[in-house]
Amino acid sequence: MSETTFMGVERSLINWKPTIDYSKCDYCMECVEFCPHKVFEVRENEEIRLIVKNPDNCVVFCRACSKTCGVDALSFPDKNMTTQRIKEIRKEMETHD
Amino acid sequence: MIDHFAILPCNGLDKCAGLISRELALKLCESAENEILCPVFYRVSDKKYNKIASERPLLVIDGCLTRCASKLAAEKGLKITKKIIIAEEAKGHGIKLNDNLRITDQEQSLLETLFDELNKNDDNIVPPPSESAMSCEFLYETFQNGKFIFRIPKNGEVFFNENDCWAYVIGNRARIGVTDFVQQNLSDILYFTPPEIGAEIDQFGELGEIESSKSVFELVSPVSGKVISINEKLVGKPELLNENPYELGWVAEIELTKFEDDKELLIGFDKYFEIMKKKVEEING
Repeated sequence: MSETTFMGVERSLINWKPTIDYSKCDYCMECVEFCPHKVFEVRENEEIRLIVKNPDNCVVFCRACSKTCGVDALSFPDKNMTTQRIKEIRKEMETHD
Repeated sequence: MIDHFAILPCNGLDKCAGLISRELALKLCESAENEILCPVFYRVSDKKYNKIASERPLLVIDGCLTRCASKLAAEKGLKITKKIIIAEEAKGHGIKLNDNLRITDQEQSLLETLFDELNKNDDNIVPPPSESAMSCEFLYETFQNGKFIFRIPKNGEVFFNENDCWAYVIGNRARIGVTDFVQQNLSDILYFTPPEIGAEIDQFGELGEIESSKSVFELVSPVSGKVISINEKLVGKPELLNENPYELGWVAEIELTKFEDDKELLIGFDKYFEIMKKKVEEING
């Protein structure tokens, strides 16, 4: 299970997930082994053998998987922009309340 | 100056960064009384290297972020005194390493630069001095899950983010650290990379790294401001984080710049206590 909200904001509204650069990825699968939140999925018999299957399981502001990637193939959104967006969503929520 | 060190490099036969790691280790051994621990031989046999590894400070030179050499050091229970990651150093110096296993002019130039930097810095082991002016007294609530006991500060001055980091705020300063959840989850912490003194950090920005044999944890700053002090004891003794991540294992102190704004995305003890309990239960059942 993963969080369903982050700072009171529904997780699915926050764009925070790894992006795989397939021109760099060598399918070592270190990220899959590392991530306890099952963000990635291995597809052994397909041409693209690794996908981001569960983006909303990714812990907001965590970039730990990218720190295990030997070929630097994982990137994340800009933290400041994500923080601003979270604040905007919270404001919108207050307005609707 | 790197002298009388044991040096554990990457094996150097998978990526160019590894090859630089290996060459750098050789150069450091040719220039001073350092000794290489061959990662391949060490993996299958302890006898040859155990004595030297236990007697000397250890420099780990990882090639890439897979950190094979660091992981081997963890497996062998070695304490890392200093480490560098070639791929990160290349990025820092604006160099894109080539894709094959040959060193060209640009890799050679990086190698020479790193060699000079390692030998030039007198602060290889001791970080630059910083002043800590804060005195923090913690009051705790605890809860137990199996054999693990978690302590959480309940003072009103302590704020948390949902990334398991705390900030003890006094006036316009905050002392920052990680909670018991992080240190229990990482298990034995082997290396601490502090933030730079003087660095301007945004809320949720990176405030150093903590590495164990299991993982690398990026410390997500609960508040924004300027780093004015780091916990120097933690650089030499990262195990203090496991011992006590509050009084002993705090990470850095920050001069606050936008605390009133930051507060919007901070939580207090009551809320964090519930979030942490839930996380522990999800992991341990």
